[in-house]
Amino acid sequence: MTEEVNIIDKVTNQDYQYGFSTDIEMDTAPKGLSEDTVRFISAKKKEPQWMLDWRLKAYHHWLKMEEPTWQNFSYPKINYQDIIFYAAPKVKKTLNSLDEVDPELLKTFDKLGISLLEQKRLTGVAVDAVFDSVSIATTFKAQLKEKGVIFCAISEAVHEHPELVKKYLGSVVPHTDNYFAALNAAVFSDGSFVYIPKGVRCPMELSTYFRINAENTGQFERTMIIADEGSYVSYLEGCTAPMRDENQLHAAVVELVSETNAEIKYSTVQNWYPGDKEGKGGIYNFVTKRGICEGANSKISWTQVETGSAITWKYPSCILKGENSTGEFFSVAVTNNYQQADTGTKMIHIGKNSKSRIVSKGISAGKSHNSYRGLVRVNKKASGSRNHTQCDSMLIGDRSGAHTFPYIEINNKTAQVEHEASTSKIGEDQLFYCKQRGIGMEEAISLIVNGFCKEVLNQLPMEFAVEAQKLLAVSLEGSVG
Amino acid sequence: MKLHELIKENFQKENTYSVSEKMRVDEAFGIFDKLGIPSTKNEEWKYTNLKNIAEKEFKIESSLKNISDFYSKLSIQNITSNRLVFVNGIYSETLSNIIEKDKTILIDNIFSARKNHTEIYNNHFSKYAKIEGLALNAMNAALLNDGAFVFVPKGKVVEHPILIINITDSVESNILSQPRNLIVVEKSANVKLIEAYYSTGKNASFTNVVSEIYADENACVEHYKIQQQVGECYQNNFTQFFQEANTTINQVTLTLDGTVVRNNLHFYMNGENCNTLLYGLYLATENNHIDNHTRVDHAKPNCYSNELYKGILKDKSTAVFNGKIMVHLDAQKTNAYQRNQNILLSDEATINTKPQLEIFADDVKCSHGATVGQLEEEPMFYLRSRGIPENEARKMLLNAFADAIAEEIKIPELVSILEQEINNKL
Repeated sequence: MTEEVNIIDKVTNQDYQYGFSTDIEMDTAPKGLSEDTVRFISAKKKEPQWMLDWRLKAYHHWLKMEEPTWQNFSYPKINYQDIIFYAAPKVKKTLNSLDEVDPELLKTFDKLGISLLEQKRLTGVAVDAVFDSVSIATTFKAQLKEKGVIFCAISEAVHEHPELVKKYLGSVVPHTDNYFAALNAAVFSDGSFVYIPKGVRCPMELSTYFRINAENTGQFERTMIIADEGSYVSYLEGCTAPMRDENQLHAAVVELVSETNAEIKYSTVQNWYPGDKEGKGGIYNFVTKRGICEGANSKISWTQVETGSAITWKYPSCILKGENSTGEFFSVAVTNNYQQADTGTKMIHIGKNSKSRIVSKGISAGKSHNSYRGLVRVNKKASGSRNHTQCDSMLIGDRSGAHTFPYIEINNKTAQVEHEASTSKIGEDQLFYCKQRGIGMEEAISLIVNGFCKEVLNQLPMEFAVEAQKLLAVSLEGSVG
Repeated sequence: MKLHELIKENFQKENTYSVSEKMRVDEAFGIFDKLGIPSTKNEEWKYTNLKNIAEKEFKIESSLKNISDFYSKLSIQNITSNRLVFVNGIYSETLSNIIEKDKTILIDNIFSARKNHTEIYNNHFSKYAKIEGLALNAMNAALLNDGAFVFVPKGKVVEHPILIINITDSVESNILSQPRNLIVVEKSANVKLIEAYYSTGKNASFTNVVSEIYADENACVEHYKIQQQVGECYQNNFTQFFQEANTTINQVTLTLDGTVVRNNLHFYMNGENCNTLLYGLYLATENNHIDNHTRVDHAKPNCYSNELYKGILKDKSTAVFNGKIMVHLDAQKTNAYQRNQNILLSDEATINTKPQLEIFADDVKCSHGATVGQLEEEPMFYLRSRGIPENEARKMLLNAFADAIAEEIKIPELVSILEQEINNKL
């Protein structure tokens, strides 16, 4: 063991020989992925040995894996040697006032109704520290502490709560799970760690803004939420990103663990840069999100509003292990121009009388393609389990595509599973009705689309719901006429 | 010798083809040789494992067997019909019987058509069923046995159904047969077809069928498929319909038995105002594995398709349903519906269903639905409370469940075969 440590020390020290000695250069890892990169990230975060070992194990496994090809979209092959895998907060070019910010971006912020202070923060105007890849200082920490809630960066948790991290890290999404999960496990930069102790109802909605900032930096977030027996937590994740030319890879992992009688509600509003009207640029959002209902009567609920990213590829899933456990998935995915989305969920019923509900609304406009892909599996012992799936697609314009790929695998005769789906376009009579009453075309569409998505938007916490509604309108701008 | 090698060896022996034919079969063999028997890693074969077939030793029969005893017991032959009978893929002239009086309507076997009706054969044969990427289709194209050939000229109506019976006789050894059917229905013509599959013998058999059905403008085709192979019988059944404008197709698939049955039912609508109805009923018992893959291609505007597949699963059986509706870019005003309903009667039965929609046009109405469940308690209670024993009540309810499909069968003899089978099995 000591020998190993020595070797590792040697190797880590070696790294510095290659020009990492100055402060500025140490902020980002060199382009490309190698064992050294993994060691570099680990060393930067001063991680203990077990963490480094875990990362390396994942890295070596990743080397053996192949990029999946079954998805219903295509993207140029990613050159993993051309990505910077780690960017720590550093002194970056700050702007003096909002006047220097891209006016297009400001217009979008205005439409979304983001406060001026927030706008400054998002665009990198010198108000507050702007961070990239490292969690923003979390608010209300004291109040949470009082209740015993742990809400901190994962890198902090590694040091302060190693027993919890060790226990749960990779327990829901193991490093062997898939190509991008393995990549994330090897190089994840940071993320949130939430632990709600037994019987505690988290006093506030926890939220984090993720941002992608430094050029050419792939983001590898890792989020873990653990709700111990009888607890409740609602977590919000919202994203915005400034204009960017080159495609960026974002391969995050989210793990949720819900113990007996606990409930986790996870809401996402994703509005990353989708590329311009010709489909140039934009973010690749390849995320593995999974939750496990470990104990009886536990519940996990995913809500997502996906309007951004050039490619959205994720399936927030629930493993319903506990008896009477419940899994929910509410999703709105909007694609416009050349955006592509392949999203949906997996509901794995293992426990008796487990229930799941899926509501998915897909809207495709322009030349975009939107796919729903979902799996409902009822295992042999999951008697009395119940699923209802509803997925509706709406098409705007005759060059867009809507696709549905539901997988239903049933091994138990008492299971009751229903799936229904429909595809339609905005009715001409609906548009006519609105226009006749003096509502403009774009407004009318936004109205109809919001009505179409209402079931899902209602699931979002209040502040988010308002933002999401506006977001839908902005995303579909220019899709008609 | 494994299946792949068997095909290879026999393909090299085969040399009866003309020069133009040779090119076609060479290409097909090339594709098969490259792809090999599909494995479960192939998304299309995710739920159906062909490993058993790939590793079995089969024999390709070259001489005709006499099975008139077995044949005479088949209840399907009570249907007044034109009959084409194939045993292990080989045409049996003695059992076949053509009652159609109009001699312009051709009801024959493929090998004879190749010689005697070369023009029609060349115009249509192997034009519709794709072989690219489809190993088993390529395997059939490379090394086919005989099969049915039907040609209905413009405006003609075939009075009685045409019954195509395929029997595998595996009394002596494992049998591989590869029938190939070609049906050409010209403008405004009308025909009823029944494809039926039976088996006898204790050894294993693998039937790899490819059928191509071409319907020209305003044609009307009723097509029934009934699969009742018992024993260790594997079947891969690929049927491609190619529809021109204003055609109506009514297709019913009844899968009542089989170790592994894989149906690939494809429709391609190449003209406007096509009407396609497809119904299926699968009854899986014991260790049956029944896999229905359907694909409806709406390539032109204003077409209508409606699909309903129902399944009853018992014992340790498995069923797979994979329905795909593909609405192409310019196929506006498409109406496409799809439904799949399943009843599981045992805890060891498995159903994997995957109804898919792929839509590239905006002015469409498409929907699909899938359900899996057991018999509802309420109707059961209703019947039981009126003094009907549980078994009887269950039978009644299952018959009612199957009735939605039986209603679509317009040949009464087929309905009674189906009803009998349901009552025997459940």
